Amino acid sequence: MSGVWVLGERREQTLELLNAGLGLARELGTTVTAFAIQDQGLAKTYIECGADTVYLLGSLAPEQPLEDYVPVIVDVARQKNPDIFLISATPRGKEMAARIAARLGVGLGSECTRLRLDENKSLVMERLMFGGAAVQTVVCLTRPQMATIPPRTFEPAVPLANREGEIIELPAPPAGKVRVLERKPRVQESVDITEARVVVAIGRGVEKQEDIELIQELANVAGGELGCTRPIAEELHWLPENRYLGISGQKIKPDLYIGVGVSGQIQHISGIRDAKVICAINKDENAPIFEAADYGIVGDLYAVVPQLTRELQRVLKK
Amino acid sequence: MGEDKFTAIIIGAGPAGSTAAYLLAREGLDVLLIEKGASPGSKNMFGGRMYSHALQQIMPDFWEEAPVERPVVREVITFITEDRSLSITCQDESWSRPPYHSFTLLRAEFDAWLAAKAEEAGAVLAYGIRVDGLLMEKGRVAGVRAGTDEMLADVVIAADGVNSIIAQQAGLRKELEPCQVATGAKEVIALPPETISQRFQVSGNGGVAQLFVGSCTKGMPGGGFLYTNKNTISLGVVVNAAALQQNQYRPVDLVEDFKAHPHIAPLIEGGEVVEYSAHLVPEAGLHMMPQLYGDGILVVGDAAGFVLNLGYQVRGMDLAIASGAAAARTIKEAKSKGDFSRQSLSCYQEYLKESFVLRDMEAYKNAPAFLENKRLFSAYPQLATSLASKMFTVDGNQPVHLLGKIIDQLKTNQVGWFQLACDAWKGGRVL
Amino acid sequence: MPRIITCYKWVKDEADIKVDTSSRQLTLDRVGYKISDYDRNAIEEAVRMQEQHGGSVIAVTVGPPSAKQSLKDALSRGPEEAYFINDPSFAELEPAQTAAILAAVIKGRLEYDLIICGEGSSDLYAQQVGPRLAELLGIPCATYVNKLALEGTRINVERKLDDGIEKISLPLPALVTVLPDINTPRLPGLKQVLAAGKKPVHNIGLKDLGLTCEVTLNTTGILAATMERRRLRFGAGNEDIRKVVDALLKEGVIA
Ligand SMILES: Cc1cc2nc3c(=O)[nH]c(=O)nc-3n(C[C@H](O)[C@H](O)[C@H](O)COP(=O)(O)OP(=O)(O)OC[C@H]3O[C@@H](n4cnc5c(N)ncnc54)[C@H](O)[C@@H]3O)c2cc1C
Ligand SMILES: Cc1cc2nc3c(=O)[nH]c(=O)nc-3n(C[C@H](O)[C@H](O)[C@H](O)COP(=O)(O)OP(=O)(O)OC[C@H]3O[C@@H](n4cnc5c(N)ncnc54)[C@H](O)[C@@H]3O)c2cc1C
Ligand SMILES: Nc1ncnc2c1ncn2[C@@H]1O[C@H](COP(=O)(O)O)[C@@H](O)[C@H]1O
Repeated sequence: MSGVWVLGERREQTLELLNAGLGLARELGTTVTAFAIQDQGLAKTYIECGADTVYLLGSLAPEQPLEDYVPVIVDVARQKNPDIFLISATPRGKEMAARIAARLGVGLGSECTRLRLDENKSLVMERLMFGGAAVQTVVCLTRPQMATIPPRTFEPAVPLANREGEIIELPAPPAGKVRVLERKPRVQESVDITEARVVVAIGRGVEKQEDIELIQELANVAGGELGCTRPIAEELHWLPENRYLGISGQKIKPDLYIGVGVSGQIQHISGIRDAKVICAINKDENAPIFEAADYGIVGDLYAVVPQLTRELQRVLKK
Repeated sequence: MGEDKFTAIIIGAGPAGSTAAYLLAREGLDVLLIEKGASPGSKNMFGGRMYSHALQQIMPDFWEEAPVERPVVREVITFITEDRSLSITCQDESWSRPPYHSFTLLRAEFDAWLAAKAEEAGAVLAYGIRVDGLLMEKGRVAGVRAGTDEMLADVVIAADGVNSIIAQQAGLRKELEPCQVATGAKEVIALPPETISQRFQVSGNGGVAQLFVGSCTKGMPGGGFLYTNKNTISLGVVVNAAALQQNQYRPVDLVEDFKAHPHIAPLIEGGEVVEYSAHLVPEAGLHMMPQLYGDGILVVGDAAGFVLNLGYQVRGMDLAIASGAAAARTIKEAKSKGDFSRQSLSCYQEYLKESFVLRDMEAYKNAPAFLENKRLFSAYPQLATSLASKMFTVDGNQPVHLLGKIIDQLKTNQVGWFQLACDAWKGGRVL
Repeated sequence: MPRIITCYKWVKDEADIKVDTSSRQLTLDRVGYKISDYDRNAIEEAVRMQEQHGGSVIAVTVGPPSAKQSLKDALSRGPEEAYFINDPSFAELEPAQTAAILAAVIKGRLEYDLIICGEGSSDLYAQQVGPRLAELLGIPCATYVNKLALEGTRINVERKLDDGIEKISLPLPALVTVLPDINTPRLPGLKQVLAAGKKPVHNIGLKDLGLTCEVTLNTTGILAATMERRRLRFGAGNEDIRKVVDALLKEGVIA
């Protein structure tokens, strides 16, 4: 057995997994191995931050997708038999993890948000199911025990003093069948909704894109950022995709969440579960969001939002 | 069957529609049963108990395979005020044996089962499809329209429930008025089966049906109900829609208050609400009955207003089933004559009279008017409960004879002797 | 002309799940079932591709015998036949098992150019079955796809990833998993529902597969994700809005 392995698509994710892996390795009395993608400097950083071994994955040709690493990773995993293999749950990470698990013939816990070891030193993983209505606890019966972990689930590992480790270079993967034609990077947004203290989320109850103005005013007065439900971002494209909250979107922990015209399906609620106070405006008294809210206002958002904005302006003297 | 033509298209897979479809399919006719719900029964609700006799006629010993909950072995009527109640209980051991008198059941499962029986018998079942309107041809109904699709039929059965858009479109009835319907709201509360049997003091799988008159409707015409299922309790209120509108009560709140009543709360304590639903009940009886047939169309069940709400009895399912059966019989004969005209379909009304449907509707035709009497829902429950309470109270005060107590109570409740006598006389005649 | 297979799952409708807050137990006995949300997009995409290029569409599902109810719904959405792989033991399969069963059926019996799966199932949302199936069949795959175009013997797709869009090209046969924004699934009409009743369904049992589905993942518990909230209700009147704002001030969440 060769300890705990971690694979992140990018630096921050690898560091987060390293942190989680170090904890597990300590308890198991074993080592931690990380993968670094193409970059010697990253490999060194991972060693400084706790990795005992780093596999340096060779360069990809421009038209090769990241997933071409799968056979290379599977080969080392077959040789070395890791105990635990954690992979970051980015879209590419999730695909790679599933394919690695399939090739190794092992189980995989998807998007695990908690990890611990049980009395047999088996990895116990917690993940959401039924859109976030339930927490499923799973244990792998095969080795390696594999899990994908959403970004930002753990704090990143920090550099430690006097670290030494081994860097092992892996061969560049041969070209697979898939060819990359084009990569269009996402325009990075300046605001990070996960940092906002107040988030006002819009749902499909908002009729027209112009009406977002109205909600923006409320957010401004309350000192918050705009968030939204998945259809607003993915189907209507009214707000960028990293503004939608929920099980497949952002998970936020603000002081205050205000849902405006949001029905409150469980998949959305899963992303705002940890808000300190939840407030909801919906005209349907049976909307599920009222079950999840501290303060529920039953009414038409076009009447309620301006009133609420005015009242906040008054008391906050803005 | 041509690609796009059926002998009969039945709109709505409630008990009325599914029964008709089942019987027609069994006779080998081409029938199409269309249901708008995502699955048959998925959104249907009722109070909680079906009288068995109608279905027993069609499918003997249906309980052996139907998803029924408990056979009702005890009937209870309770007059209820804020702090008192007076119950009349009737228990009959024969109700707990075949042919069981009535069963509690849950509609989602029951309706799905009955629709599946129709499908098994050969009916084509299409669910998740709402019929938007009728196809007319030379003044007669010739088929249905759902979205952009059209489908022809010799005859259409409107089994689409209380709001029957179809019967309205065919010009057989007008839009409902609030005073003709009641709003029912109900919760299903989960409890372990043993707890239910214990709390209601029944052995084994015996069920209880309990109706309430009085404060549960805040004096509005209507009542409360409670039925015990296997591992749930169905509980709720039915209130006249016009009164509800006038008094601005929300049905949910009435159910909440009812549940919190000190005589109800202990019965459901520790239970988990697993379902909430609301639905309309036609309750004007014969006075809201539409024309039951037209050229190429028949109206059955709630769509025809076949519900009897007598305060101590709520019946709709058995009437729906029997009217579905009468419609099937009518169509079978029309098919053999090859004539689906109004004239040919008119024997539907005869068959309804022969069965108990129109006979019972006729017998209770004055009940709805009587039940509009507000005294029934506030003054009389007050009177009855306080009288009973006086009767049972021993507090060291001077004893008063029964008659004296009655007089006393009539005075405090501001009900005149004459009124009481009149109401009692009327009630005795119409109920 | 592409021969397309689309895989869908019949799942419990999570909106019907009730929870006992004290014990965190889920009440599942009264839930409705549905075709997993994103699998409707998968079926729709397959049918659209067929409408555009011809070929055929087969719907495949693995589940307990009760999932039979799903067939009419699935077929009314356009595929011309269905493979229903069922066994009472298929009620709670893990992704590895589902993929193994699908692979066994597809390898032995079906010819195909393209397999379309959903992004993830609405119940487990493991997002594994698609890529696992591709590996077992030894074909290339593309996940998180929001645009598909058939180009001769290849398929060009757009993947939506967290750092941007990636356009890739795959030789057929291939597997893709699609995102919900790839299309809006049609609502089947009466004629489609009626036609669905006449389409062939191939029933395949566990015995016919000659496969033992080894368990690799053990579910040791499923508990409700609870949330304690006050659930206070207010109306839209001025007075009520003021009360809410006062409360928010007192909570110290606005300043
Ligand atoms: C596997 C899976 C993952 C998913 N992940 C996510 C996720 O991460 N995040 C997410 O958000 N969703 C997610 N979804 C989708 C989710 O199930 C819901 O469909 C979505 O959250 C609903 O968005 P909504 O509330 O904006 O729209 P709707 O459900 O359409 O609700 C609109 C609401 O607005 C109200 N309304 C309308 N007009 C007014 C008015 N004038 N005034 C006040 N109220 C009004 C209505 O009463 C209604 O309640 C996922 C679904 C699946 C199957
Ligand atoms: C609160 C309440 C308590 C009751 N308690 C009792 C009781 O204890 N005992 C009793 O016997 N009766 C009771 N009833 C009455 C009983 O529920 C009805 O009489 C009975 O359901 C009538 O059956 P039906 O088939 O005519 O109509 P429904 O059961 O209403 O069925 C109509 C069907 O048509 C479908 N439909 C409607 N429109 C369309 C369309 N355009 N296209 C396709 N499909 C359509 C609906 O989805 C539905 O499935 C109660 C009713 C209520 C509301
Ligand atoms: N039981 C099943 N039968 C057929 N296809 C399935 C089944 N389970 C999952 N799939 C397919 O695999 C995708 C991903 O599922 P999952 O890995 O469970 O998130 C789904 O969107 C379906 O396309």
